[in-house]
Amino acid sequence: MSRAKTKDLRRTMSRRGLLLVGGSALLTSFLGARLFQLQVAQNNRYQRLSDRNQFDVRIVAPTRGRLFDRKMRLLAGNAESFELYITPLYVDDLQQTLAALGQIVELSERDIKAVLLAARKGPSFRDIIVRNDLSQRELARLAVRSPLLGGVSFGKSLRRIYPQGSLACHITGYVSPVTAREIENNQSLEKTPYLGTGKVGVEFAHEDYLRGLPGRERIEVNAKGQPIRVLRDVDAMSGKDLQLSIDIEVQLQAAEILRRGQLAPVELGTMQVQRALAKNSELQAHIALGDDLVLRDEKDRLVPPESGAVVVMDIYSGEVISLVSAPMFDPNLFTGTLLTRDWRRLNSHPRTPLLNRATSGQYAPGSTFKMVVGLAAIEAGVISKNTQFNCSGDMELGNATFHCWRKGGHGMMNIISALEQSCDVFFYEVALKTGIRKIKDMAHRLGLGDVTGIGLPGEKPGIIPSHEWKLANQGRVWTPGETVVSSIGQGYVLATPLQLAVMTARLANGKQAVTPRLVKSTGDAAPDFAPLDVDPYALAIIREGMFEVMNGGFGTARKYDLDKSLGGMAGKTGTVQVKRITKAQREEGIVNNIDRPWAERDHALFVAYAPVKRPRYAISVVVEHGGSGSSTAAPVARDILTKLMQKQG
Amino acid sequence: MTVFKILLRIPWHLLFLAGILVLVGSLALYSASQGSWQPWAGRHAVRAIVGMALVVCIAFIDFSFIKRMSYVFLAAAILVLLAVMVVGTGQGVSRWITIGGMNFQPSEPAKLAVILALARYFSSQPHDRMRSFVWYLPAFAIIAVPFAMIVKQPDLGTALMLLFGGLVVVFSAGLPWRYVFGSLAAVLAAVPLLWLQLKAYQKARVMTFLNPETDVLGAGYQITQSKIALGSGGFFGKGFLMGSQSQLNYLPEKQTDFVFTMIGEEFGFAGNIFILLIYLLITIAILRISFRVNSRFAQLTCIGIGMMVFFYMFVNVAMVTGLLPVVGAPLPLISYGGTSMLTVFIGFGIVASAIVHDRRQS
Repeated sequence: MSRAKTKDLRRTMSRRGLLLVGGSALLTSFLGARLFQLQVAQNNRYQRLSDRNQFDVRIVAPTRGRLFDRKMRLLAGNAESFELYITPLYVDDLQQTLAALGQIVELSERDIKAVLLAARKGPSFRDIIVRNDLSQRELARLAVRSPLLGGVSFGKSLRRIYPQGSLACHITGYVSPVTAREIENNQSLEKTPYLGTGKVGVEFAHEDYLRGLPGRERIEVNAKGQPIRVLRDVDAMSGKDLQLSIDIEVQLQAAEILRRGQLAPVELGTMQVQRALAKNSELQAHIALGDDLVLRDEKDRLVPPESGAVVVMDIYSGEVISLVSAPMFDPNLFTGTLLTRDWRRLNSHPRTPLLNRATSGQYAPGSTFKMVVGLAAIEAGVISKNTQFNCSGDMELGNATFHCWRKGGHGMMNIISALEQSCDVFFYEVALKTGIRKIKDMAHRLGLGDVTGIGLPGEKPGIIPSHEWKLANQGRVWTPGETVVSSIGQGYVLATPLQLAVMTARLANGKQAVTPRLVKSTGDAAPDFAPLDVDPYALAIIREGMFEVMNGGFGTARKYDLDKSLGGMAGKTGTVQVKRITKAQREEGIVNNIDRPWAERDHALFVAYAPVKRPRYAISVVVEHGGSGSSTAAPVARDILTKLMQKQG
Repeated sequence: MTVFKILLRIPWHLLFLAGILVLVGSLALYSASQGSWQPWAGRHAVRAIVGMALVVCIAFIDFSFIKRMSYVFLAAAILVLLAVMVVGTGQGVSRWITIGGMNFQPSEPAKLAVILALARYFSSQPHDRMRSFVWYLPAFAIIAVPFAMIVKQPDLGTALMLLFGGLVVVFSAGLPWRYVFGSLAAVLAAVPLLWLQLKAYQKARVMTFLNPETDVLGAGYQITQSKIALGSGGFFGKGFLMGSQSQLNYLPEKQTDFVFTMIGEEFGFAGNIFILLIYLLITIAILRISFRVNSRFAQLTCIGIGMMVFFYMFVNVAMVTGLLPVVGAPLPLISYGGTSMLTVFIGFGIVASAIVHDRRQS
């Protein structure tokens, strides 16, 4: 580099360096001017804002969207509730005031701690909620005594209510106060901690739709903290209402019919009943939850209502008309402060009322799985309508013996009579020839083995086993004996009551792979389901078999058909062993179901569609430990469909 | 050079000015925790003492070594920024790396790496090539790569400061005026493109800046409260520990980005102007060193670091006074937060090394 050029460059750099010094000084004086403007010129204005007029910003809670049934009857709404506030600024001694309040209203140690913490953290003129859900008595007492306590006030807010009580508990779910965990995941909840969030059911699944957006008020308070005026900045935006496909009337009838079963309710008031109750801890658990239905069984014992599930759905739209899971619980328990007592009762209840059996209860489908095996076999060409097998009462495979439910056997059976009489041996033979792979494929096409996507949290997929499934889950290879056991819906096979209803709906629909939905469809547009892709000829055979179940001379549910004037129904029974029958038991004659402890009795299942000619509804019924599919579950389905069809009539 | 000579040549006045800021910062943090050394003020002071020791240590490092390593620093900075993209932490952003329980924000020292790399680049080029625009393209790449990575994090405030710091070096290296104005025009044209790159919350901040009333609870709340706190401070302030806005928790982030506001409320216009002047003095002192050192590398490095400190102050103060959107920029040496303080002290150390080891001084 030449000397002259270096010098030239130095000069450029010095010049620019000086420019930067000048620029910095200029920008700094610019900032100084801004500070002068804020702190000196406009000092009065900001002084006023700061000293005399503190702004407090308060969130205005949005009104949560309501839930309606298909006929616009209220399932979840909002009711006025009263809250007790305290404003630390007006209070001389917070501890003392809280202690005094504790004499007037119910206050827990935790409530008091929360108030003290909030008072330490927030500005002293901000109201703190001391208690919500004040009772009328507490309100009356407060009205008299709170004027003597400085800084105490009460106000109105909305509380979630479920006017149908426990009836739709597993569908709506419930709203309860925001938990610390939820705030961690969603910071915006922190600003409105007193607004509940949906925890389960539709309340959870459609939280964003129902919730709405909070509004905002600015409150000008003077130096003493007294509000001068309230400016409504942003109005709260109410959540949107949601119409469900449930018919609460059908739901009520379905729940009553399922819970009562074939037994008679007893009068609770009598001495004899009271004495029996005192000795029975399981019955006490029911009564403690506010359930006053107690039944008398054939052996004259007092028993709690049946537990299980019912799903009724429309086979074209997929709309779920009724979804019952018993036992139930009262969602209103959760909306305020859940009492530890209630929570303990719900959790220690022997029959887990919080579990939604319809979507999360997984049961062996038993003989209701035989339609799947039959369809797979016909489609694979393994059997035709007239292919016959002889049922001698059992089948030998290797050195194992697989029994038919009927000791003496059924004789020569074809697919229709095998469905009609629910012959096990016929399906053992057919399944061995068809293979588990094709059976599994058919089960998936009918909606088993996958979640249905009804949109309720915690839905279970059930299990449709296969070679791969067993290898992955048990680490062992599949054996032909397991194909045999699977063919009658036992062994590893599991399905939810909702899946069984979907399966039945698809069998009856025949064209579309109907999926269930809980939200009422708007408009007339037919839902767009994928094609079912099952041979219509094969379907017709299976439906004939289901028809014979109700109508054949030996049909397992011939005594329980839907009245012909209402169109009759086509169905399938299922009775599922819960406890293995030992060889010794088999030889001395199987112990009668009713003589076994409840938890060891068979599950009773039934699926059906109606009317037979132009099907409209599909139903699935599971009665836990109910005995037999024909005598316990089929009449439940018949009675529910009777009510439903009569209403249509 | 003897240890004594090195110690003599260290620009102690820089450390003295920094010490004043640290003292003010510690007092402010003491007040921010309602009159307590916990949790911020004590740690802030300790960190500052460690930082000043670091300046003296760096002053002993031969400046030619720093020059040799400057590209390595840039490569390292880019690698660490890459690492942040993969393992970074932060709420919805990946901005920090956690080492041994301490959060470290690599975008801060990246500013220094960019300044050093640019200074090295320009010092190694013969002067007659300076007029061609092509010659400046590598320099823009040195700025653009870390800039883009920091924008992606996303941390717009730090990215813009890095951009300004880098551009100042390019400008000082003698970028012809026609390119200066050309680039300005290009930047203005790029604003809409940049807007599309912004995350929703960043857009919201800009919109809030343009109209603070739209979001009184969010970013607008911060600005509204900051202005009330500053404005109500008046000429001499409400007094130490007496700032009602700050003490009543109206002012958010008062220990970090809004510490200047808190000082404004308690010490008033006088206190704020005092801080501005100290920063200006530091900037001028470093630029003065840039006039005195001999090598081009040293000159450009000092200019870059001096202006970096100034931009820190300018962006932060403009932000809390409502002149710039709330982009999240600390006030180094006063705000609680280790990385920006560390960056400034390392910068001071490099400046010290530049003057200590300068040929002309011997």
